[in-house]
Amino acid sequence: MSLTETVPQARRRDLRIPLAVVLIVVALGAPYMGSRYVTHSLIIALIFMLPAHGLNLLVGYTGLLSLAQAAFFGIGAYTAGLLAVTYGTPFYVNLIAAALVSGAAALPLGIPALRLRSTSFVMCTLGFVIIGQAIAKNWVSVTRGDMGLSSIPKPYFELGPLSFTVSGTTNFYYLALAVGVLATLAVWAIVRSPAGRNMVAIRENETLAESLGVPTWHYKLIVFMISAMFAGVGGCLYAHYLTVVSPLTFQMYYSTTMLIIVLGGGAGMISGTVFGSLLFVGLTEALRVAPEVRMIAYGACLLVLVFWFKQGFAPLINRFWNAIGGVK
Amino acid sequence: MLSTVLEQVVNGIVTGSVYAIVAVGMTMIFGVLRAINFAHGEYYMLGTFGAWFAIDYLGLSYEASIVVGVLATIVVAYVVGQLVMRRMVGAPAESGVLATLGIALILQNTVIFVFGGGYKFFSGGYIEPISIFGFSLAQQRILILVVCLVVFVGLELMVTYSRLGMAMRAVSQNVECCEVVGIDVPQVVLRTFILGAALAALSGVLTAPVNVSVYGGMGELITFKTLPIIIMGGLGNVRGTFFAAMILGIAESLVATYVGLQFRDTVGFATLILVLMWRPHGLFSTQARF
Amino acid sequence: MNAHLPLLEIRNLSKSYGAVKAVNDVSIHIDRGEIAGLIGPNGSGKSTFFDCSTGLARPDTGTVILDGQDITGWSLNRIAREGRMLRSFQKTVTFKSLDAEENLVIAGQMFTFPSIAATFGLGKLSRSRIEGLRERARELIKMAGLWDVRHQPAGNLSGGQQKLIQFASMLMPEPKLILLDEPMAGINPKIIERVVDTILYANKSLGVSFLVIEHNIDVVTSICQRVVVLDQGSKLVEGLAHDIIQDQRVREAYLGG
Repeated sequence: MSLTETVPQARRRDLRIPLAVVLIVVALGAPYMGSRYVTHSLIIALIFMLPAHGLNLLVGYTGLLSLAQAAFFGIGAYTAGLLAVTYGTPFYVNLIAAALVSGAAALPLGIPALRLRSTSFVMCTLGFVIIGQAIAKNWVSVTRGDMGLSSIPKPYFELGPLSFTVSGTTNFYYLALAVGVLATLAVWAIVRSPAGRNMVAIRENETLAESLGVPTWHYKLIVFMISAMFAGVGGCLYAHYLTVVSPLTFQMYYSTTMLIIVLGGGAGMISGTVFGSLLFVGLTEALRVAPEVRMIAYGACLLVLVFWFKQGFAPLINRFWNAIGGVK
Repeated sequence: MLSTVLEQVVNGIVTGSVYAIVAVGMTMIFGVLRAINFAHGEYYMLGTFGAWFAIDYLGLSYEASIVVGVLATIVVAYVVGQLVMRRMVGAPAESGVLATLGIALILQNTVIFVFGGGYKFFSGGYIEPISIFGFSLAQQRILILVVCLVVFVGLELMVTYSRLGMAMRAVSQNVECCEVVGIDVPQVVLRTFILGAALAALSGVLTAPVNVSVYGGMGELITFKTLPIIIMGGLGNVRGTFFAAMILGIAESLVATYVGLQFRDTVGFATLILVLMWRPHGLFSTQARF
Repeated sequence: MNAHLPLLEIRNLSKSYGAVKAVNDVSIHIDRGEIAGLIGPNGSGKSTFFDCSTGLARPDTGTVILDGQDITGWSLNRIAREGRMLRSFQKTVTFKSLDAEENLVIAGQMFTFPSIAATFGLGKLSRSRIEGLRERARELIKMAGLWDVRHQPAGNLSGGQQKLIQFASMLMPEPKLILLDEPMAGINPKIIERVVDTILYANKSLGVSFLVIEHNIDVVTSICQRVVVLDQGSKLVEGLAHDIIQDQRVREAYLGG
């Protein structure tokens, strides 16, 4: 009902479709545009994007700050690695198994943890990472302890009589891209569904949602499990790409990285997570930043995000999107 | 057999004392700020590094290195407090978690960046054992026990009688009221925080001769040990923290001997999760603060 | 179901917090189509009584029977969803970053979708259900007089407007009974009139029954037929609104307490 609606306005041209085309071309052609190291950096970004997508559902949409994501990432990595090493199963079997095992593990962990209030919940989820690492170190008969799993085979597919192996950085990039795109679409579907609206309601005001008939406890548990499944899928790619999995897959640093991706990119925004993983993981990897420096930068980012840029890059992305969409 | 158990219990009490001195600062900070300081162990690390630096680079004595370590930490804590902790007054719990995680990353990795990530040898301290009641105990361990007792008695007195102590109690009970009656809440938070950080540093310097090795990642481990303690002790509860620290210290030492050394570092979080399931607000009341 | 039974019947409800008996053996009933009032001085246990009746708190003893069904011990969301008994909160609450329409759609979702699993659907059926909710939401928004601000985040609106959103939200699921906790507190007189009109409209046209906690005695006498007075956790007296405000005991409870 504002004035602008009645005044005829010269609409700028909608550049969203051309931009999307450019992005698709860049995404598909990336391995041929940059060096092998750039492709490698993009793969790492895509791998971390998956648990970050899950975390975004949890933190950004449902309002639950969790540090457990690295634990489910590790569970997924070990599940896929063990299957591939022991049984030589095809990639899609490992991927589904990693998602299911991580998701299933989230059920018994989520039931007690989600009963806790804010800080206690955070600490409980942190405990899962620490205990996960201890189990990976000490359950030697399965996990091979500190040595971890090594020479995990390259992902291979088997469709009837056909079978092929994904080898080389470029091919792995396309595999990771495919998984990443599917995962992004899955998040989009969840967020757009009525359940996604209920998640936002829980984030905004849990008691009010509850009073309007939303079974908040069930939703929180389901979202916790879904986010663990995303982490599991990421873990599976991680295991196949690095070909080694060690107890250090369970580390706080990974959880922090995923948090930075989500918060930095803009919590509660899918494009924010995609952007965040490219910026915070892809770019630092591509620039070969020393790990200490990278962590110092992450720490500084966290402080800046908490006190000055609460919404991360989300407002910027929004403005950009509106600008190229011709909306003033 | 009995003497081994006893020895382990005594060792556990010493470890518990170390945890207690670190954890009490963390729990007091929670009391005034309603936020968990995920960077608290890093001040323990800073204290240790300061002392190590004083001994190895400046050639000072162990006694002087204690002062250097604690003072260096106080300076860092002052800066962090001014820049970050003051801003956390009244902020949501999640912001506190994220901000202190950020500080932990910065402190830990700056030290690794400057001094390297490897293990360093800490050469100071009173490590000669003396024999009491039939078993031998390093003098340093006795020192830790004594300091722990002095710290807790001192804190009790300070919280009850000093101006800062009374302000701390007031802030922990109701921030809005404090602002109304003119207590400078951010100032109280800052002082409590510096006090807590200094205690963590002291604990670090005192433990260094026992642990011998000094490395950048040591703070994180201590944070993970003290988190369960302050939760079990009832957040903000000084006495509860003392007992929880002792329980964890003894439990760890017994688990390390009878179950396996590799399980020692998981005892805390495993207990924490069990306790949270059973009593979401900790073993000790959070009402009896300070 | 049973037209002769009261819609809501609460028998001998008690709730203590430590040594404090917040609610002590209170029994009330609400008839079909009725607007009943619940009044009493501050601290007389009205809100605790609400919390225990709607599943937000668990009563120590007592039974809550809604439409012939024992709902004691049900959770807040189940009572809302399956019992169609909704409640408001004393503090104005909305989903602040969402606009009025989204607020109302959320309020209707769990009553339209048969299961949690169904809410994850994005298909044709799911879309048509949401479209139905949107239409109903727009009607209610119009009725509440919020049409002009319907695209604004609820958090940007005034307290009174948010209260109207909250109220309209509760009408989304076609409720049988609504419990209002101080609907007029802290809103300006203009909006009070609008809220009163909305309550009366919901009661007359939509057949919703009400139990209203309210301090504004004029409002109570103008909308409530029957009034229950609580004092120090116990039921002091119950009767027709006009008689109650004349009652000596009620005056003493308020003034001399």
